[in-house]
Amino acid sequence: MSTTAPITKANLANLVARLVAGGARVVAPVRKTDGLRYREVTDGAEIVLEPRGLPDMSLKAVVFPPTEPLTSYERKGRDVALTAPPLIFQPTVVLGSRPCDAAGLEILDRVMNWDLRDELWFGRRRATTIVSLACAGPADRSCFCTAVGLAPDATRGSDALLVPVNGGFVLEAVTDAGEALVKGNHDLFGVPAQADAEVRQQARQAVAANLSLDPPAVQAWLSAHFEDPLWDPIALRCHGCGACASVCPTCHCFDVVDEPEDLAHGTRRRNWDTCQAAKFTLHASGHNPRADQNVRFRQRVMHKFEIYPERFGQVLCTGCGRCSRTCPGGQDLPEILAAIQARVGGAA
Amino acid sequence: MNELRDLARRLLGDGTVKAVVGYEEGPRGVRPVFVTRPEDADQLIFDPRAVQNLVTFLNPRRPHVKRLGKLAVVVKACDARAAAGLLRESQLRRDEVVLIGVRCGGVVQSPEGPATLNEETVAPRCGTCAQRVPTLADHVVGPELPAPPVQSSEDEMMARLDGRPHAERWDFWMAELERCVRCNACREVCPLCFCERCVQDKSEPQWIESSPHVRGNLAWHLTRALHLAGRCSTCGECTRACPAGIPLNLLNRQAARTVAARFGYVVGDDPGVAAPVGTFRQDDAEEFIR
Repeated sequence: MSTTAPITKANLANLVARLVAGGARVVAPVRKTDGLRYREVTDGAEIVLEPRGLPDMSLKAVVFPPTEPLTSYERKGRDVALTAPPLIFQPTVVLGSRPCDAAGLEILDRVMNWDLRDELWFGRRRATTIVSLACAGPADRSCFCTAVGLAPDATRGSDALLVPVNGGFVLEAVTDAGEALVKGNHDLFGVPAQADAEVRQQARQAVAANLSLDPPAVQAWLSAHFEDPLWDPIALRCHGCGACASVCPTCHCFDVVDEPEDLAHGTRRRNWDTCQAAKFTLHASGHNPRADQNVRFRQRVMHKFEIYPERFGQVLCTGCGRCSRTCPGGQDLPEILAAIQARVGGAA
Repeated sequence: MNELRDLARRLLGDGTVKAVVGYEEGPRGVRPVFVTRPEDADQLIFDPRAVQNLVTFLNPRRPHVKRLGKLAVVVKACDARAAAGLLRESQLRRDEVVLIGVRCGGVVQSPEGPATLNEETVAPRCGTCAQRVPTLADHVVGPELPAPPVQSSEDEMMARLDGRPHAERWDFWMAELERCVRCNACREVCPLCFCERCVQDKSEPQWIESSPHVRGNLAWHLTRALHLAGRCSTCGECTRACPAGIPLNLLNRQAARTVAARFGYVVGDDPGVAAPVGTFRQDDAEEFIR
C-alpha cells in the first residue's frame, strides 16, 4: 500500500458529505463545551484537525460502546426466549483519529479474539475505516507513544494516515480499505505527493524526549516484583475512581448486568468496568482479593506491562497519556514507568 | 510556605502524626502528596493551584490510607466544611486527625495552573465563599489574603438554567447526562460519599441501573445529588474529576439552594450544628404531606 494523495481542507469536507450521503456514519474530533471529543459529524466544517489536538476520551467507544445489549429476554410461562441483537453494523469512517487511538483498537483485537471471538467487537471493527491524523509532536509532556513502540505518525490500526502539508493533507493509504477510500474518491485528491519526512522524524524525537522505556525489561522486572516496596505507597493519592480506564484506549474490561424492563422482559447488557473499583474483584462471600487501592493500582500496571505482553506479545498501552491528564489525584503513569525503568537500569 | 513546612516537620518529628497530606509540585501541576518523613516536609507547597479537596483522603473507605496511622491534612476553608461533614456524621473523630488550615484567597480551576488568580482563572466555587480562614483547623498558616476575584460562571449558569422552561432544562440535563460512562469518578473523589456499599452497587434489588444509558445515568446522578443535599460542601471535585465534562456541581448547588430555602441550613464548618439530614424537627415545613 503506498497510495499517497494530497487533499485540501475543502475537499475533506466534500469527502464527509459524500460519505454521509452514502449512508456512512462519520466520526471525527469536534470541539464542544466539554472539550475536544470524537463525535458523529454530518458537516465536514465541524471537524477539528489539530496536529497536536488529542480528544479527551479515546476512540474505543466507536467499536466498544460504554453500554450495549448482549441479549434481550422474554419470559414465556416457564420458558425464557432470548434474542441477541442483530450483528449488523453501520459502515463507519473515522476521520482524524489519533494514531495512538487507532493502534489501541488493533492491540485489543488480540484479547477480543482470544478464548472467545467477540463478534460485536469484530463486527464494528470490520465496518469501520480509520483515517488517522499524524501528530506534529507531543500534545504535552504526558505523551509517550514512542516509549511503547508507536510513533506520532504510526499507522498501526489505521487504514490511512493524514499527514499535514501546506494547505491540506497528504493521505497515505495503509490497508485495502484505505486504498479503496482514496481510489473511490479520486476526484477529491490531487496529484501524488510526499509528506516531509524530516518533519515526521522531528515529531518522533519530540515525543521520545518525554519518556524512554525498554518494555521487555519493564515486563521482566514486573514479572519478578509482584511484591515490592514500590507498590506499598503507589496509590495513596489514587481515588480508585476509574476515570483513567474510561479515557484509556486499551482498557477494555466490562461488567455484565441484567436489567428488567418489566416482569416478563429485560436486557442483558455489558458496560465498561474498571479494575480500579473495589467492587471489580469483590467476591460474593465478602472477601476481596484486591482489598486496597495500592493493590488495585498495581494490577493496572501489571495488566498493561506484564500480563498482556506475556500473553499477546504486546504492551496494553499506546502512550497517549490520557490517564495522567484526567487523573484528579495526580497519578502519573509515565512517572511510575520511569521509576520502574530506573530500577531495571538503562533508558528513562 | 516555610510556616507550613516547619509545622509539618514538627508534627512528623515529634510523632504527633504519621503522615502529612498536603500539596506538592507534580508532573502536571499541583497534586496531593503524603509526606511521612520530617526531612521531606520541604516538598509541601501551597498556592492557588491547590485545587484538590484533601479531606477526601479521610474518607473511611480508604484502608490503605488509614493504615498509615494518624494524619495531618492541609485544608482550605472549603475543605474544612467537608471535614466538618465527616465529623458531624461520625465518620471521623476529631482526635483522629490534625487539620492544618491554610489561609486561602481562592484557587484556580485547574491544578495545572496558571497560578495567577483572576476573573478568568478563579474556580467558580470561590465566588460564593466568604471564608478566608478555616476556623475548624488546629493550626492556621500562611499570609492573610484578600478575597478572590469574583467570577460566577457556575452561578450564572444556574441563573440561566433557572430562567428556562422546564422542557429546556430537561433537554440540557439529558444532553449532559447522556455522556456519562459511569466510571464513578464523581463518587470516588467525593469526601462525603463514604458509604461502604453505594446504593448504585446494590443489585438485589437493583435500585439504580448501573448501565451508562441516559435512564441509568439520570437515576444515579439525581440520587447522588439527593444523598448529598445539605451535606455537600460544594468543593466541585466531582465536576473536576468527570472525564465526560459534566457540570455535576450544578446539581449539588441546586440541592444546596433548596436546603437553604426549605430548612434555613447552609453547610458550614461547625460539626456541632446539626444538618437537616439526620435531624427531626417538629416545625419542619411538611405541606407536601396531604
